[in-house]
Amino acid sequence: MPDVRHISSAVVIAFPHRCDEVAARLDALPDTEVHYVQDGKIVVVLEGATTGEVGSRLAAIGLMDGVLAANLVFEQLDIQEDPGVVP
Amino acid sequence: MSPSRRDILKAQAAGVAALAANISLPAAAQPVAGGVEALKIQWSKAPCRFCGTGCGVMVGVKEGRVVATHGDVLAEVNRGLNCVKGYFLSKIMYGGDRLTRPLLRKKNGAYAKDGEFTPVSWDEAFDVMAEQAKRVLKEKGPTAIGMFGSGQWTIWEGYTATKLMRAGLRSNNLDPNARHCMASAAYAFMRTFGMDEPMGCYDDFEATDAFVLWGSNMAEMHPILWTRVADRRLGNPHVKVAVLSTFTHRSSDLADIPIVFKPGTDLAILNYIANHIIATGRVNKDFVRDHTAFVRGATEIGYGLREDDPREVAARKAKDVAATEPIDFDAYAAFVKDYTLDKVSKLSGVEPGFLEQLAELYADPQRKVVSFWTMGFNQHVRGVWANQLVYNLHLLTGKISEPGNSPFSLTGQPSACGTAREVGTFAHRLPADMTVVNPKHREHAEEIWRIPHGIIPEKPGYHAVEQDRMLRDGKLNFYWIQVNNNLQASPNNTHEAYPGYRNPENFVVVSDAYPTVTAMAADLILPAAMWVEKEGAYGNAERRTHFWHQLVQAPGEARSDLWQMMEFSKRFTTDEVWPADILDANPNYRGKSLFEVLFKNGNVDRFPVSELNPDYANNEAADFGFYVQKGLFEEYASFGRGHGHDLAPFDTYHQVRGLRWPVVDGKETRWRYREGLDPYVKPGKGVEFYGNADGRAKIIAVPYEPPAEVPDAEYDFWLVTGRVLEHWHSGSMTMRVPELFKAFPGARCFMHAEDARKRGLNQGAEVRVISRRGEMRTRIETRGRNRMPEGVVFVPWFDASQLINKTTLDATDPISKQTDFKKCAVKIVPV
Repeated sequence: MPDVRHISSAVVIAFPHRCDEVAARLDALPDTEVHYVQDGKIVVVLEGATTGEVGSRLAAIGLMDGVLAANLVFEQLDIQEDPGVVP
Repeated sequence: MSPSRRDILKAQAAGVAALAANISLPAAAQPVAGGVEALKIQWSKAPCRFCGTGCGVMVGVKEGRVVATHGDVLAEVNRGLNCVKGYFLSKIMYGGDRLTRPLLRKKNGAYAKDGEFTPVSWDEAFDVMAEQAKRVLKEKGPTAIGMFGSGQWTIWEGYTATKLMRAGLRSNNLDPNARHCMASAAYAFMRTFGMDEPMGCYDDFEATDAFVLWGSNMAEMHPILWTRVADRRLGNPHVKVAVLSTFTHRSSDLADIPIVFKPGTDLAILNYIANHIIATGRVNKDFVRDHTAFVRGATEIGYGLREDDPREVAARKAKDVAATEPIDFDAYAAFVKDYTLDKVSKLSGVEPGFLEQLAELYADPQRKVVSFWTMGFNQHVRGVWANQLVYNLHLLTGKISEPGNSPFSLTGQPSACGTAREVGTFAHRLPADMTVVNPKHREHAEEIWRIPHGIIPEKPGYHAVEQDRMLRDGKLNFYWIQVNNNLQASPNNTHEAYPGYRNPENFVVVSDAYPTVTAMAADLILPAAMWVEKEGAYGNAERRTHFWHQLVQAPGEARSDLWQMMEFSKRFTTDEVWPADILDANPNYRGKSLFEVLFKNGNVDRFPVSELNPDYANNEAADFGFYVQKGLFEEYASFGRGHGHDLAPFDTYHQVRGLRWPVVDGKETRWRYREGLDPYVKPGKGVEFYGNADGRAKIIAVPYEPPAEVPDAEYDFWLVTGRVLEHWHSGSMTMRVPELFKAFPGARCFMHAEDARKRGLNQGAEVRVISRRGEMRTRIETRGRNRMPEGVVFVPWFDASQLINKTTLDATDPISKQTDFKKCAVKIVPV
């Protein structure tokens, strides 16, 4: 079985004064990395085995306390027979 | 050590998102193109198929199947962003119970109203359908034939429906479910400006100093637009946000001025603000003198209930509910003087301080204001008034038709504007804001359609709620529903809708992609192609017309609504449906099929298939032998060109990410009615509301009048219905996406914790929601996204297994005939 991972990025908008706290909570979610934090905007990368996993997590993020909006931007499918090696 | 491939992919994804969010990146982190292309996915543009925002998405097709979608970075509306519903677009077409064959109720091999759904061929389906339509025509005439469509029809599908119904079958009983959605907005535009649709556009968001939400939960219903609002607010500390609602919701989180008012009292708040503007001397006198006219509207206009309903008898005094009479500024000022801060605060339950802060947003001449509204205003027994009262504020202060100053009616459906309103699929409308009651308009339409004069009937047909009533009463007997879940959406549906579907005199046809509640109540189900399974065009809330190509094939025998209507038209001849005297006077129309006179009319069929883009399929063109969509669009566009509704040439729209009409000399119009921004404003005028003959917009004096039904000792709660982030409308698509279903699997009754405690109800307890009309079962939610004030409950309507519309009241705005889904009385009883 090839290893299939959906790698999606999202922009999360939070109150600027709560941005760091929200970013920390996002970073603590499984398969979720915070890449940039600037002026109330947080760029996260969500990983999952299916789009369902990614989308459900995004829906949950959108309803988190301190979050005003969460929208997806870009998704790539990473299909690898032998993951972890730069082609 | 070199980074792993996955790390690089993640960095790329993050880079694209950062660009979309305008975050500056270190040089090393700029995204590199090509990652997705490597997977051999073919990407094409399309507008999203859900709400009226009109986001651009890129649709990825692999081996004949839509496998991915993402926000289109070239789309101005969403700039690469994609809300959660948009993210799952690729799954809406692939639900396990997709309809793939026509299904007819049959018994002993023949159609029977009480038969079982049986697969039949398209030929048999159309044969039975035509036989039923002809039976009804013979027995009762064209007024017993009706059709119900929606703002999800593509532009050419809505246009085909209006031609087939009005010109072909000679019935104006054509209405869209947009009647339930923004009819109040459309009527108010016509009554105020003489022309439908907003003067501004989304560019207003980045130019304004204040946003006021009047009955709109944008955070959940228009997440992409809300992102732009939040961006503007958070990046510019002087910007203020006011959110008015009958309960606290996700949009309230961003509010500087959060206001929860008692249902229906928004009318009084609006008149108070007008009074405040006048009393504090902040009327823009030049603007008011040069560009407005004052009128007083008829009052005590009733609730659009059945005429013999005691509430209607008691409340309706006005003979002509839409009547207005001219007044002057002084009379208007005297009228609103009654709406004092103290009085309105008591009536609405809103603290005076908040009301004053809100009024100041409008009154302060230094502050630009965008007002937003959706269903809170439109689904209102005084919805047209509410819309007009907010225009009053923008007109009194001259805060209109320029960047950042914009009264902005948002829409719920992808082509509520483009199809339902612009094409004119309402019971009284024709394309380009014309109406069937105007003989000149009918004549003009007949000329463009190349049909004899006298064919289009002059009497407006039944509107949505009236259609339900007439089906039940046996006066509407042949009924075709396309692209919507009418029965689930209808108010008071146990009494006023369902009986009509099962009335033995009636034959009901439903075209849909899925077996909805409505489809299952029909006599014939036609499997429909959806979204990118056909070539399409939508028009969004900011007048943006946006096209897409057919990208995949629909499953099984499913066909587009366009194909269904055109194919059905072949089964009728003019001699069967047009009056003999008109045919006597125009003998060259004798013996022709409706298909020939409506579609092979030398106009619609003038573009050959050689003009198709060879990279994309087009099933309709292949079947009918000409470029159907182009012919229909160009004929339709001829209604509006030169009349302020100019559309660009057909082919242009396949290249661009949509254009906002009027498109004049290849240039779109972002703000209408202001010189320099709108080519239709005559030089030297400055501002000209050219939809009205005198170039003036109307400021109207109308009062607060109470809702149709208010809570009492027995039915002691206000019931508000609406939507949630995860589901769109009746859930017929989003409930079939497993992840969205899982995220919000069933309706719930949002209630204040104290109300629950008093009734001994715990969080999650099962209850019956009971009104005078019906009941449904659900569970109590005292936490979560909606925080209710005491005495008000909210139940979303997406869930087909918990039909809240069994309890709602079929009261409508008497002017727009739009249902009020936001105000009726219920009691909550433990199970």
